[in-house]
Amino acid sequence: MRGSPRTWTILLLSPSVGLLAVFVFIPMALSIWLSFQQWSTQTPFTAAHWIGLGNYSEIFGYGPVGRDFRQALANTLIYSAESIVVILPLSVALAVLLHQAALRKNHILRTVLFSTYMVPMVAVALVWSKLYSPAEGPINQALGWIGIAPLSWLSSPDTALSSLVMLNVWQQTGYFTVLAVAGLTQIPTTIIEAARIDGARGLKFFWRVTLPLLRRTLLFSGIIALINAVQVFEPVAMITQGGPVGSTNVVTYHIRRVGIERSEGGLGSAMAMIVMLILGALVSAIFAAAGRRSEA
Amino acid sequence: MNENVRSSSYRVGLIRTALYALMLGLTVVTAFPLAWMVLSSLKTPAETLRSPPVWFPASPSLAAYVKVNRVIDTPRSFLNSAVIGGVTTAGILVTSLLAGYVFAKHRFTGRNALFSVLIATMFLPPIVTLIPLYRIIESLRLDGNLAGVILPNLANAFGIFLMRQFIAAVPDELVDAARVDGASELHIVFRIVAPLVTPALAVLGLFAFVYHWNSYLWPLTVLEGNYDQYPIVLSLSRLLSYNRSAINTNLVMAGATLAVFPPLMLFILLQRSFVKTVVETGVIG
Amino acid sequence: MFFSQQSVVLLYLTAAMIWRLRTHMARWTAMVVVCAFCQGWTLSARAQNPTVTISFLTHWPPETVAKLSAAAKAYMKDHPGTSIQIRAVPFADLLTTLRSQAGGSNAPTLASIYSLWLPELVRDAIVTEAPEADAAEIRKDWSESAVTAATVDGKIYGYPNEIDLYALNYNKELFAAAGIAGPPKTWDELLADAERLTKREGGHVTQQGFGSINSWAAGVVHPFASLLASNGGALVVDGKPALDSKAATETFGFIQKLIDAKVTDPSMGTADANTTGPYLDNFIAGKTAMIIMANWWESALRAGMGQHFANVATAPIPVGPSGNGSHAISYSWLTVVNAAASETQRRAAWDFLRWLDSPESGQNGASAMGDLLVSMGILPSRQSDVAAFSQRLASNFLAGYVSQLKAAQPFPVVLGGQEFTDALQHHLEAMQFGQERAPQAQAQAQRDAASILGNAAR
Repeated sequence: MRGSPRTWTILLLSPSVGLLAVFVFIPMALSIWLSFQQWSTQTPFTAAHWIGLGNYSEIFGYGPVGRDFRQALANTLIYSAESIVVILPLSVALAVLLHQAALRKNHILRTVLFSTYMVPMVAVALVWSKLYSPAEGPINQALGWIGIAPLSWLSSPDTALSSLVMLNVWQQTGYFTVLAVAGLTQIPTTIIEAARIDGARGLKFFWRVTLPLLRRTLLFSGIIALINAVQVFEPVAMITQGGPVGSTNVVTYHIRRVGIERSEGGLGSAMAMIVMLILGALVSAIFAAAGRRSEA
Repeated sequence: MNENVRSSSYRVGLIRTALYALMLGLTVVTAFPLAWMVLSSLKTPAETLRSPPVWFPASPSLAAYVKVNRVIDTPRSFLNSAVIGGVTTAGILVTSLLAGYVFAKHRFTGRNALFSVLIATMFLPPIVTLIPLYRIIESLRLDGNLAGVILPNLANAFGIFLMRQFIAAVPDELVDAARVDGASELHIVFRIVAPLVTPALAVLGLFAFVYHWNSYLWPLTVLEGNYDQYPIVLSLSRLLSYNRSAINTNLVMAGATLAVFPPLMLFILLQRSFVKTVVETGVIG
Repeated sequence: MFFSQQSVVLLYLTAAMIWRLRTHMARWTAMVVVCAFCQGWTLSARAQNPTVTISFLTHWPPETVAKLSAAAKAYMKDHPGTSIQIRAVPFADLLTTLRSQAGGSNAPTLASIYSLWLPELVRDAIVTEAPEADAAEIRKDWSESAVTAATVDGKIYGYPNEIDLYALNYNKELFAAAGIAGPPKTWDELLADAERLTKREGGHVTQQGFGSINSWAAGVVHPFASLLASNGGALVVDGKPALDSKAATETFGFIQKLIDAKVTDPSMGTADANTTGPYLDNFIAGKTAMIIMANWWESALRAGMGQHFANVATAPIPVGPSGNGSHAISYSWLTVVNAAASETQRRAAWDFLRWLDSPESGQNGASAMGDLLVSMGILPSRQSDVAAFSQRLASNFLAGYVSQLKAAQPFPVVLGGQEFTDALQHHLEAMQFGQERAPQAQAQAQRDAASILGNAAR
């Protein structure tokens, strides 16, 4: 062996650890520090001055700053929850369908489903904004054929956020379906046969056998879907600009507006910290819940 | 008896037909937005504004594609996208392979702690670090430049996590035997370990490429309006100008079709082996 | 430069590692990627021969950017020492782009900005004052409202370019069908006409009398401010929000009346990030009878409506009960020079701007800037440009705007102006969608505005 093991460990780790240190950990530390400062994004870091919890108290205060951020936070959480609640069951259902012996050899649906994941979100947003168009859009037209009155989609605070969720569902379901198919494929045939001998069939088989065995996949999928959903930015920036009445204002869009457009770097960093803490708490809670279930 | 068999095969046939019909329906619904995008790109501006909508253009025209090329530098944008996607992916593959190998096969104090800290960054929303990261890139004088888009993304936690999982499954004996033979660590990683985890590398590579080909917020921030450095996704947003968009719908759809094409082709070319790999190995799962 | 060498080494190493991949395909992919990267590098390094390089950031559409590039090329031919790069981002990204890179080494030298952003850019020392000679020329040759909008604390910060104002646009065909002779002159007439112009089918509005925008800050706030000004009020008086005035109460009340009479349907008024969407579509399709909108929409309307564009007429903003006449809100744009640029860059930038906005750079006494503005249907603000394009500006649609320029009131350019606009937009939209009633929206908008303007002035 050339070189001591220690040297090799350091040498092989240094590219990734170095890059992550410089481009993730240092910016994160700066963000934490900035969240306690009054700092204009235009000025050097040295121009920041300490205001303690000032930014945080503004965020939790009664003013428009707090109100807008809390609305953005709530919108993001609703968007994430709706996305996960629709995507996960749908992907499992589609995976079960694709996993049917009769269809296993047929790849068209799988290819089409997964291919939406390859489409840039910017293009997805542009296309869907036209599909949703109340008068010129094909969706309302098709609804009209089956006697449903036109829906307002992006044009009402009641439906705009869910319309963006649908767009996310369209793009991401295929990805999670493939993960679920992977999970199904890994279920050992011995277990399946044993369950069949015990007389489990149809839905009962699904609830008793399939779903519990998919738990690890679902846990992973849920967390990935959550992380993706919290980052939503393009459809809001390309279509709604957060409207109507702030109903689609999400945290990434809002923090960019506060931190860069209004150049309140300290305030924006404090908002980012809150998002980070909430996401961290949610992920830990999901892991903890999953861990407890598997012990039980 | 005979009767029974016939009715059961009849039932199987019925179920099969129903399944196929369901699948066909789902395929059509899923593919519809993409089809609408392509159809709209072939319409005239007046057709895109008509209500109720026109589904099929009266005389399909490629004029929008020609005009897109006049308005934005499409070949250059594709080149920029390819550079961002390609170099970033190559970087991620190399750094992830090296780090994944160390975390799987080297023993050192603090290994698990370091691994956990690195993995935690997977859960960090990019907006948290956007402003300071931009200032760092700026101080390195890489702003307005493709290098600034690429450099911070050359390593990522997901890749390290994935490679560690897969390399852990490579038998220790193989690595130890190579060491006894006097192979260098680099030789072990690239010549012994890498070939054994090629499927995982391929999947990681495709995901990384697609993610970075499609990324928007970071290039938008770093490139500062330097549109000759724009990847196709950003060039696409240039077609949306505030007093032209209404009449540019066919143009925007043509641009979107062009932007979708390369990652989609890449996927369709690779999809057989790709989906197979994901499904069989449960990468990610 | 030092860094790019290092990066090339890094690239080389990456390539060398990829070279060890087995398949030909992988090798070729690596080769292509590396070559592409190097090419990009040399291309970006090449543009550094001239003595000074300046950059110009704008949100204009690619066709207009091409015109600007052509003008820049013409200038560079006579000024070989200067190299000009044009950068462009969509409108929605303009301020964030400007903000995020201001002060950086690669920040744009010149930028075309909305005057509302100017006070903050001045406060943060991002823009630089115009040299004496340029300031004098601007004062002499531009309309007063354009000069005011480019001025902070008595100092001029840039060359005004476009000026926009609002007016009532109405569809003559729909008016004729409803038997209405001419456009409404007062709020009462506006409401009455809107009622006659609204058609419903089973509780659904199929044609709305009056269209109000949502999801687009300026599109929501400017028509409101125009109605307020035509009722003798103002958004801001002496730097303080004045949404608690009687004139404002009446304006909020009038908006509420339009909403309660259901002559305006919010789902027909949504705009997307590029100001298109249902709001534009419905007017183009003849499903909205009246809107209050700005002149720069001409190109969108013209292209969207084709021959039906002839149905669109322009009229002054209807006057409210306490108003003394019609006052549209105007706003303008200006080109500013980055304070962080070097001395030589700034000098070159002002020199280029002076030329670009001068009668020498265009044809028939127009400036190159005027040329490209008018090509978008936008009113130029230099007097000589207005004269040079007098024929074009006398078109049916634009003449209705040009005639209102004199009485127009500039949108208040104050610190925190954009955030104030966002907050007012929020409450006006909340009214449109029935989440707030006029008194509540008015009180909260005033409170938000006081807090925002107070914080900004701190």
